[in-house]
Amino acid sequence: MSASAAMASGVSQPAAPRPALSRFVGPALAAPVTIWLALTFAAPLAVVVLLSLQEFPDPFGPIVQPPSAAQFAAIVSDPFYLRVIGETLALGAGVTALTVLLGYPLALWLTRVPARWRPIAFAVILIPLLTNVVVRSLGIVLLLAPDGLINQVLGLVGLPPMRGMLYTHGAVAIALAQVFMPFLVLALYDVLQGTSPRVHEAAASLGASRVTRVFLVDLPLSLPGLRAGIVIVFLMSSTAYVSATLLGGKKVWTTGMLVWQEALQNLNAPLASALALVMTVTSTLFAVATFMIVQRLMPWRSMRAVSAMSVPGWLTRLFDLLGPPLGKLLLALSLLLLLLPLALVCIQSFNDVPQATVAGFRAFTWKWYERVLFGGAYAESFRVSLELALASALVAIALALPAAFALARFRFRGLTALTAFWTLPLSLPHVAIGVGMLRLLQAYTAVPPFLGLMSVHVVLMLPFAISLLQASVEQLDRVQEEAAASLGANAARRFFLVILPGLTPGLVAAGVMSFLLSFGEVTVTSFLTTARMTTLPVRIYAEATFSLEPTVHAVSALLIVATILALLLLNRFVRLDRLHAR
Amino acid sequence: MTISRRTFGKLTLGAGVVAPVHFVRTAVAQPKPGDELVIGVWGGAQERIVKEYCEKPLVAKYGCKVSYVLGSTVDRRARAYSERGRPSFDVLYLNIFESRQAVKDGVTQAPTDAVPQFANLYDFAKLGGYGVAINPCTIVYDKRKASKPITSWKDIWNPEWKGRIAWPSYPGAEGTAALLMTAKMFGGDEKNVGVAFDKIKELKPFAAIQSSQDQLFQMFDQGVADLSIEFGPFVRKYAETRNPNIEIANPVEGQALAMNVACITVGTKNQKLAEEWINFHLSEPCMLAYAREIYYSPTVKNLNIPDDLKQKLVLGADAQKLVDFDWDIVTKSQPAWTSRFNREIAG
Repeated sequence: MSASAAMASGVSQPAAPRPALSRFVGPALAAPVTIWLALTFAAPLAVVVLLSLQEFPDPFGPIVQPPSAAQFAAIVSDPFYLRVIGETLALGAGVTALTVLLGYPLALWLTRVPARWRPIAFAVILIPLLTNVVVRSLGIVLLLAPDGLINQVLGLVGLPPMRGMLYTHGAVAIALAQVFMPFLVLALYDVLQGTSPRVHEAAASLGASRVTRVFLVDLPLSLPGLRAGIVIVFLMSSTAYVSATLLGGKKVWTTGMLVWQEALQNLNAPLASALALVMTVTSTLFAVATFMIVQRLMPWRSMRAVSAMSVPGWLTRLFDLLGPPLGKLLLALSLLLLLLPLALVCIQSFNDVPQATVAGFRAFTWKWYERVLFGGAYAESFRVSLELALASALVAIALALPAAFALARFRFRGLTALTAFWTLPLSLPHVAIGVGMLRLLQAYTAVPPFLGLMSVHVVLMLPFAISLLQASVEQLDRVQEEAAASLGANAARRFFLVILPGLTPGLVAAGVMSFLLSFGEVTVTSFLTTARMTTLPVRIYAEATFSLEPTVHAVSALLIVATILALLLLNRFVRLDRLHAR
Repeated sequence: MTISRRTFGKLTLGAGVVAPVHFVRTAVAQPKPGDELVIGVWGGAQERIVKEYCEKPLVAKYGCKVSYVLGSTVDRRARAYSERGRPSFDVLYLNIFESRQAVKDGVTQAPTDAVPQFANLYDFAKLGGYGVAINPCTIVYDKRKASKPITSWKDIWNPEWKGRIAWPSYPGAEGTAALLMTAKMFGGDEKNVGVAFDKIKELKPFAAIQSSQDQLFQMFDQGVADLSIEFGPFVRKYAETRNPNIEIANPVEGQALAMNVACITVGTKNQKLAEEWINFHLSEPCMLAYAREIYYSPTVKNLNIPDDLKQKLVLGADAQKLVDFDWDIVTKSQPAWTSRFNREIAG
C-alpha cells in the first residue's frame, strides 16, 4: 500500500487558513520568540561575529575593530582544522545514524507500553539526561574497557577480548548516542502516537504484516518527528566536547574541543569565534539539507501526487523474518545503554570511596546523601537549579507554542529565515555563546541574576521546544477543530478545549525536555554564574575540575527518583497519550 | 614663593580631586560587618577546606560575608580578564603561570607584605600572587608493570612503557611540566622545545592522552594505561585509598614545580578583607588541613608539621629543589605549542 493512501485514510490535510487573517496572525505568532531571541541571543551572537573578524587576539581591546578575514583564512588554509571539522561532521552523522537505529525501536516500544507503565518507561528514556556526564562516561568506560562488560561477555562465549575499544570515535559515538537518544525518542513519540489506529487497520486489511506496517506506515508518517530528531541530534553532536574529551582521550578531536581550547586556554577569542561560526554554517547547511530531503520524501504534505510504492514479495518476507528478532535486539541494546547509568548510580551513590570514578564497590555509606541533602551548599544549589529550570521551561513553552503554530499552519514572507534564526542557538557551540556573553558581562551583570540566567536558558531550550511542538501541532486533527467551530465554539474555547488537550503529549515532552536542559546546563551557565547563584551542575562541574566525589551519584539517584514520582503524579492528571490511542 | 590666585585655584582643585581618593582608600581599608568578599575557587575538597579554615576565622573577626564562584581555573581567568578593573571577584585562585601573566596584564595585584605571612613564603611563591599550595608534577606509574623503580624522567623512554603511557594533555599544568621536563632532559629548554616534541613523538602510540587526574585514575583502574605525568600529591591520595599499585616517582632531576596561587584582583573594593583571607589561607591550620586532606605541600616556612605528614610532603630543601621554569616564555609560547601539540602529539 502506498504511503499516500495511509495519509488519505487517516490524517486530514491541513485546511488552508483564510488569507486575510494569515497575513497578520502568522507574524504575530512568530513575534514573541523572535523578540526574545533578538534581546538575549542576538547580542552575544553579534559579539562572536565581530570577534571572528579581528586580526589578532586582544582580550582587552575594543570589540569593534577593522574587519579582517585572517582567522577564516587561517582555518581554511590549515589541513588540521579542516580535518577536525570534517571529522566532527562525520562523527555527528555517525551519532545521528546510531541514535536513529537505537532510538526508533525505543520510540515504538514507548507507544506500545501499557498506559499505567508509561511514566516508568518515560523515566527510563530520560535516565541519561538525569545523570551527570561523568557518570555516563564511567558507564561507557566499564562497558568498553579491556576487562569491561563486552569483553567479559565475549570471554563467556569463548571469543578473544577486543582491546582498544576505548578512546576511539566509536566510544564517543556510543556515549553521545546514549545521551541524545531521549531527544530523538521524544520527537518521535508524539508523532507515532498521532498515527490513527484506522491507518493500521486499513494496512492490515490489505495484508500488511506488523513489520511491513512499521516500514510502510509508521516510518513515512513519523518523518516530521524523525526530521526534528535528526536535526537536533546532529547539531548537538557536532557541538559536543565534554564526552569527546572524556571518552576520546584526545585521539578524537571535535570542533567544540578546539573552540574551548582556543577561547579559554589560549584566550584567542577571534580564532575560537571563527571556528565556531565555520562549524555553525556547515552544520546548519546539513540541517537545511536534511530538512529538504525529508520534505521530498513527504510529497503528500505539499499536495503533490505520490506514485504508489510497490514492495517485492521477497522483501516483505525478509522483513517478516528478520524484523522481529532484529527489532528486539536493537531494543534490548538501547535499553541496556539507557539503564547502564542507572545501575551505576544505584551502586556508586552508596560507595564509600573518595572519587566518583571508582569502579569497584568498597563499603556501604550514607554520607553522600547526607552531604547532598543536609550539606547546605548542595541543597541551596539544588533549589536554585529547580527554580531556574521550572521558570525557564514555562517561559520557553509559552514562547515556543505560538511559534510552532506559525510554522505548522502559516506561510508568510521571511518564515524560512526566521526558522533558521530560531535554530541558531542549537548550532552555535555553547562555548561560543559563553565567550560572547563574557564580553557582555558588564551589561549582563546589570540584569538581576535569576532573570539573566533564565533568559539565556530559555534561548538554549527554544530550538528543542519549537521543533517538538511543531511536530505536535502538525499532527493535530483539524477535523476536531472544525467540528467544534461548527458547533459554535469560539477561538478561545477551541484552543483550550480542543487544541490544548490534543497537544498534551507534545507539551509534556517539550516541557520535560526543556526542564531537563535547563537543569543540566553548565557550559554557558558557568560563565554567568554569580556568587549568589550557583546552580547544581555548575557546583558539580567545579568539583570535577578538581576531583569529583560520589555526591554526584547521590544527586543523580535523587533526581531519577524525583522524576519517576513527578511523572507518576503527572500521569494521574494529564494523559501522556493521544485520545484515539486510548 | 608667591602663589598666584590662579595657581592657588589649581592647587585647591588638585587637592580636592586627590582628597576623596585618600579618604576612600582609608574607608575601603577598614572592613565593615556585612561586607561581602567574593572568592573564585575550585569545588570539592578545596572549597570545603577554605570554608573551614579561611571563611570561619575571617567572618568571626570582621562579621563579613564570604561568597564563592566555583569553577575551573580557565573559566575564572577568562572571567577575570573580561572584568579587568571592575572585578566581581576579590580573590581568585590560579595556577602558577596564569597568575604571573595576570599580574603583567593588570588583572591581579602583585603580592605585598600587607599580608603578614608574605615574609615566610618561599621566594618562588612570592611571584604573581601568593603561592598557597605546592603541587609538583612527576611521573606516576603502576609498579607491577615496571622492571625497576623509575628514578629519572628519561625512564619514560624505556621500551617497556611503549603503548602504555597516558600522556598529559597540553595546555595545562601537567602537560606543561611534561613538555618542559622532556626538553630539559634532552638538551633543550623553554626557548628550545623542538627537541621535546621530537622525543615525545618517539613514545607514540599512546594508550591515550589524559585531560584530568580523575580521567587518569579511571585509566589506571581499568588497566588502559600504566604511566603518566600528574600532580603527585593527589595521586598519592588515590594510591592510598584506591590503588596501592600506583607509585609516585621522585626523579633525580627533580619534580616540576606547580603551584596554586591566590590572587587579589586589581580594583577590588575589599582589599583588607582579601589580604586577611589570604593570610588565613597561609596560616598553619589551613596549610596543615591541605596537607592532611590532599597532600598539598605548604608554601610557607614557619610551620610545625607532624612527623607522619613530613614524608608525604615536599618541604624545605626539597621544595627549593623543585624545577622552575621561565613562565614568561611559557605563557607567550602557549598558542604555538598548543598548535604543535594538537597536530603532532594528540590525535
